[in-house]
Amino acid sequence: MVTTEECIKKTDEQLVFLTLKNQEYYLCLMKRYENKLLNYILKISNLNKEDAEDILQEVFIKVYQNLNDYDPNLKFSSWIYRITHNTTISIFRKKNVQPQSVSWDNEELINILESTYNVEKDTIRQLTYEQILSIINRLPLKYKEILILKFIENKDYKEISDILHKPLGTIATLINRAKKSLKQELFKEGIKL
Amino acid sequence: MKNISEQVLKRIKKDNIRPKPRWYFLTKNYFIWSMFGISVILGSFAFSMILFIIKQLDWDIYHYLGDSFLKTVFISLPYLWLIFLILFIGVAYYNFIHTKRGYRFKFISILLISLVISVTLGSVLYSNGFSENLGNIFFEKIPYYNRLVYTCEKQWMQPERDLLAGTIMEIELPENNFILKDLNNNKWKIRANKAIWKGKLTPTPGLKIKLIGKLMDDNTFEATEIRPWQGQGQFIKGKNW
Repeated sequence: MVTTEECIKKTDEQLVFLTLKNQEYYLCLMKRYENKLLNYILKISNLNKEDAEDILQEVFIKVYQNLNDYDPNLKFSSWIYRITHNTTISIFRKKNVQPQSVSWDNEELINILESTYNVEKDTIRQLTYEQILSIINRLPLKYKEILILKFIENKDYKEISDILHKPLGTIATLINRAKKSLKQELFKEGIKL
Repeated sequence: MKNISEQVLKRIKKDNIRPKPRWYFLTKNYFIWSMFGISVILGSFAFSMILFIIKQLDWDIYHYLGDSFLKTVFISLPYLWLIFLILFIGVAYYNFIHTKRGYRFKFISILLISLVISVTLGSVLYSNGFSENLGNIFFEKIPYYNRLVYTCEKQWMQPERDLLAGTIMEIELPENNFILKDLNNNKWKIRANKAIWKGKLTPTPGLKIKLIGKLMDDNTFEATEIRPWQGQGQFIKGKNW
């Protein structure tokens, strides 16, 4: 049995190496990413929590089966987010899910607007939780996911490029377009930035 | 919240799930790179054929055909090989973006990389005579190939438009009139006493030539200009081209 202390000291890359020799170490990796990935799935998919947990299980199985494909020159987090992204989008599209209002908490929604436009929190707080959620969910998936990765998951451009498998230049363009799109939606709600 | 991580580990143990072996991913990766390489090489074959077809045509005779230069270009472009080139570049692009780092490159960069390799390699193949041999193989072995490309043969076998090509059979001295077997094996009496022989040609039986002139009747042609079969008859580096 692998102890929690053993896990904490190890990097992701070391844990991948150890998991290939002893599957017990995989528990450390999964626990490290469980909450982050579940939140990410919920935000990009609008699935309910039970479905999101099922996806996460599929993600962990896929990651385990493909551990030998992991390239240590990449960040492990980018690689696991990539698999999560692909699995979620694939299931999300198959199920053709309608938006549900369960995936975001109020502070996260405010943070995404605040960090995107450097506006005062007070300005954003004029909007209700439902209004902000409706604004975010009205955005096309490609804009929504890039805003989530940049402003909620705090990934840098290179990590986003590795997760979405797009060139760095395209990532910059997408972020700008997502901001513009968000701005238009805010304008419709009567907020001028 | 369910304890997902522990559930997954139990499932891995229960179903005896194992990581796919390293060789599986290496093989997949090598396969993708090989497909990219093969596509680029096939693209270079296509480009060498485009060069060969374009270079073997005489672009200065469009006025004999009564067409504008643009129309001649439009008729003469090797569309079949252009389609193949685009197809192979497309397959090369598809494989490149599926390599491990392929996604980091922009669409236009990958397209240019594939095109530059195909063009460079294709030019080398053309200069080594590869495309000429390949063209001959296609003519002999592939049915209807000659209908799909506009060749030098098609361009010059138009006696009704004052263009003819073939091999000299007999020479009648002193006027240098001769009997010509055209590319369709028909015999022609050629009046060549006023003809300009380009490229320092010496009229001899067996010589393959191209003629510009005037159709007199069903088997008589008056030549005004005679060129060697290959090239336009300019004298370059001691060779008749």
